Amino acid sequence: MSIDTESEHAAHGGHDDGHHEPPEVVDGRQKMGVWLFIGGDMIGLSAILFTFLYLRGVNTDGHWMSMWGYTGHPYSYYYNILDVKGGSIPNATLIKVGPLSAGLNWFVTVLTVLSAGIIWMAERGLRATKNVKSYTTMAGIATAVTILSIVYGIIQLQHIPQIFTAHNDSLTMAYTAYDSAMMAVDGSVVIHLFILAFLGLGLTIRSARGVINGTKWYQARLVRLFWVWVAISSVIASLVTTTVNTIH
Amino acid sequence: MTTTLEHTKTASIPQGGGLARRQNFLTGLIGGAIFAWLFWFLAHHFLDATSRTWSDEVAASVTLGWIIGFWLGIGALNAPGRWLIGKNNTRADDLYLAGQGQGKSRYWKFTTDHKVVGVQYIIMTMVLLGSGGILAMAIRTELIVPGNHFVNQQVYNGFIAVHGMLMILALIVAVAGPWGNFVMPIMCGARDMAFPRLNALSLWTLVGAAALLLTTLAVGSLTMGWVVLEPIANQAGVGMDFFAMAIIVFTVSTTVAGVNTICTVLTMRTKGMTLSRLPIFVWGAIIAAALGLYAFPYFSLVEAMTLMDRTFSTSFFVANAGGEGWLQANLFWLMGHPEVYVILLPAVAALFEIAAVMSRKPVFSYRTAVAGMTGLAGLSILVWAHHMFTTGWAPTLGGPFMLTTELISIPTGLFFLVLIGTLWRGNIWMKLPTVWMFGFIANFIIAGVTGIYLSDIPLDDQLHGTMFVTAHFHYVFVGSVLFGAVAALAFWFPKVTGRYLNEFLGRISFWLVFIGVQVTFLAMFASGLKGMPRRYSSYALIFEHTNFITTIGAYIIMAGMLVLLGAVITSWNKGEPSGPNPWHANSLEWLVPTPPPLENFDVLPVITEDPYNYGEELVRS
Repeated sequence: MSIDTESEHAAHGGHDDGHHEPPEVVDGRQKMGVWLFIGGDMIGLSAILFTFLYLRGVNTDGHWMSMWGYTGHPYSYYYNILDVKGGSIPNATLIKVGPLSAGLNWFVTVLTVLSAGIIWMAERGLRATKNVKSYTTMAGIATAVTILSIVYGIIQLQHIPQIFTAHNDSLTMAYTAYDSAMMAVDGSVVIHLFILAFLGLGLTIRSARGVINGTKWYQARLVRLFWVWVAISSVIASLVTTTVNTIH
Repeated sequence: MTTTLEHTKTASIPQGGGLARRQNFLTGLIGGAIFAWLFWFLAHHFLDATSRTWSDEVAASVTLGWIIGFWLGIGALNAPGRWLIGKNNTRADDLYLAGQGQGKSRYWKFTTDHKVVGVQYIIMTMVLLGSGGILAMAIRTELIVPGNHFVNQQVYNGFIAVHGMLMILALIVAVAGPWGNFVMPIMCGARDMAFPRLNALSLWTLVGAAALLLTTLAVGSLTMGWVVLEPIANQAGVGMDFFAMAIIVFTVSTTVAGVNTICTVLTMRTKGMTLSRLPIFVWGAIIAAALGLYAFPYFSLVEAMTLMDRTFSTSFFVANAGGEGWLQANLFWLMGHPEVYVILLPAVAALFEIAAVMSRKPVFSYRTAVAGMTGLAGLSILVWAHHMFTTGWAPTLGGPFMLTTELISIPTGLFFLVLIGTLWRGNIWMKLPTVWMFGFIANFIIAGVTGIYLSDIPLDDQLHGTMFVTAHFHYVFVGSVLFGAVAALAFWFPKVTGRYLNEFLGRISFWLVFIGVQVTFLAMFASGLKGMPRRYSSYALIFEHTNFITTIGAYIIMAGMLVLLGAVITSWNKGEPSGPNPWHANSLEWLVPTPPPLENFDVLPVITEDPYNYGEELVRS
């Protein structure tokens, strides 16, 4: 390999500035890094939605939204009756679950989109007006909205119904395939929201301390890229899980 | 001559570093142990208050606690913490994290210098290969005679699963880890990787994952192979929770490493280093990284769902609640086949590099080599269901998947074309890297041809699940990738240490491993052709002789690997000094001093030619 170090050296007046890269170079590199992470996340989202659609499509033994189980009391309740009073365990009945609340699902999504919109406007405002105080306030609001969506996301997860059943020869509660797939989708959204809350809190603190300001805004843009992707992925997930959930 | 291990002793230790000054591998272990106990305590009291000490919920919580504590203890979470409170690293902090002035101790720390990370990967690869190798010897000892009771059947099953996964992890990082870190940034003309802290994170996350994987042997009850098929995985003991979390953590490591590799190559090449002038190894590394970025999210998801089925009682793979085992097989093999090429491509690309340097010729048809690697990566994502031909899943798709699988032989054939073309009529320098390269060529032919047999559905119906398949993929991984990895080690060893890898011991090792591979796996092919199933701890008398021969062959391989380990250890400090460019190569890593300085180049070079102009050099001379 032929190299020419002399001309490069001369071009920089004899000083090597490669040790101190310009911010726009670092910014471009980090932007590519964020895009690549988003690319990996896209594969993850597609795999989760593939799981949802696959299980719905195969509908094994018609159990996409149903399962043999015991209503009213846990299996162990009946087992105790059997032990103590000499009764008998009732036959398992087919329990059907309905689709989860589309309203709650979309509420979490709307909150996520709202927070993405706020963080995007905040960043645009910072770049246009250099007003850091306004950015800090808006980043704080976006973070608060995200925390609210986490709360509702967790409420959504708690509302996924369980069925008392015998599972792997042990007595336990179980979820149907639909509920399991919803848990994967909603769980993934909540994990992403936790990451956004961390990033939002960081942006708020950093801008309040002046680390992010009217001239040093590239981290705000990087976070915004990821934030918008999470909002888009949340919309895609809600669209899929609320429109093609039941089997007619 | 100073070595890489010693060179930063001459610089003083910078003032920065903060908390990192008190953190190292030991504090990582302590942090991991404390958090594992804390999570065990919390899980035991809040998630599962029954008398069972090791329920799945508790086991999963312990694994989570371990990795969080390990990250905290080693210092991996310092940077996110500082970022959160609005602090940036100073130049002194960065220099401290890069290991300046810290001598050998920096190899036990969260050090960001890509060369240190490269050496850490060398050590990590040896640990993984050694652990997996010991398990292989135990497995083969069990199988030396029928009805042997060297280990009980449950332990044997665990050995099979952990051996497989350890070796897969080892080979994923065997070439891309050490050389994708140590030499690749220098080859591009970069001062470091794009994201040095993420680089260290990927290494130490791998360490955390490996620890979880090895722990499965202690907690036990792994009843399936490394593919952790459902529903067996759902019925396994708590070792499965450790196994699943190890894989999830490992995929974090590979994703971070993949992003880092791609960003480094695409954004940090020095002036004049166009894509067509990139050393061919860099192409192999970046294509493998991109393929890993595609494949490993599936791996992470399938293990997360296995863990959820076991801890939250979801039903992804439980048929009586609407789940399906084939879903697991699909998701697993969507990862599983590309992963073979994530392993193979860096090794092949390293051999292209070695072939050019050692035959004093340009890489034959450079663009064909790049096209072959890209084509192989592209095709590899379209062949996953050939692993499921005999499962009964979508029989109508058998034909298309057979076709795509057989198409793989075209880019694979291009690899041979490029290698043979590069060596053809070259002035071949028969040094240690070249010897291992020829071993690769011989073994890879057998691996490739038997792969074509298995892609054929009628034959696969007969051979699937037999030792024939085991022999085939061992020719790929041991006969091919391991040979490529050792060739790469012998080739770049002088750049790391300033010394040659001991030629005499290296050749003894080569012949032992080469002969051992033929004895072991040709006999294993024979067992498979006679119908011996995989993963059994005992077998019928009809398989007695071939199994005895296979076990003897495995011992020979182990002897060869021990000789290689001896060669590495003795050569590292006492080997023959090599100088900065022992192979008289043209690529950038050979044009910087040995050991390379902290930021590689005093002045960034400007590239005016490709790195393989040996022919023109000869004409000019």
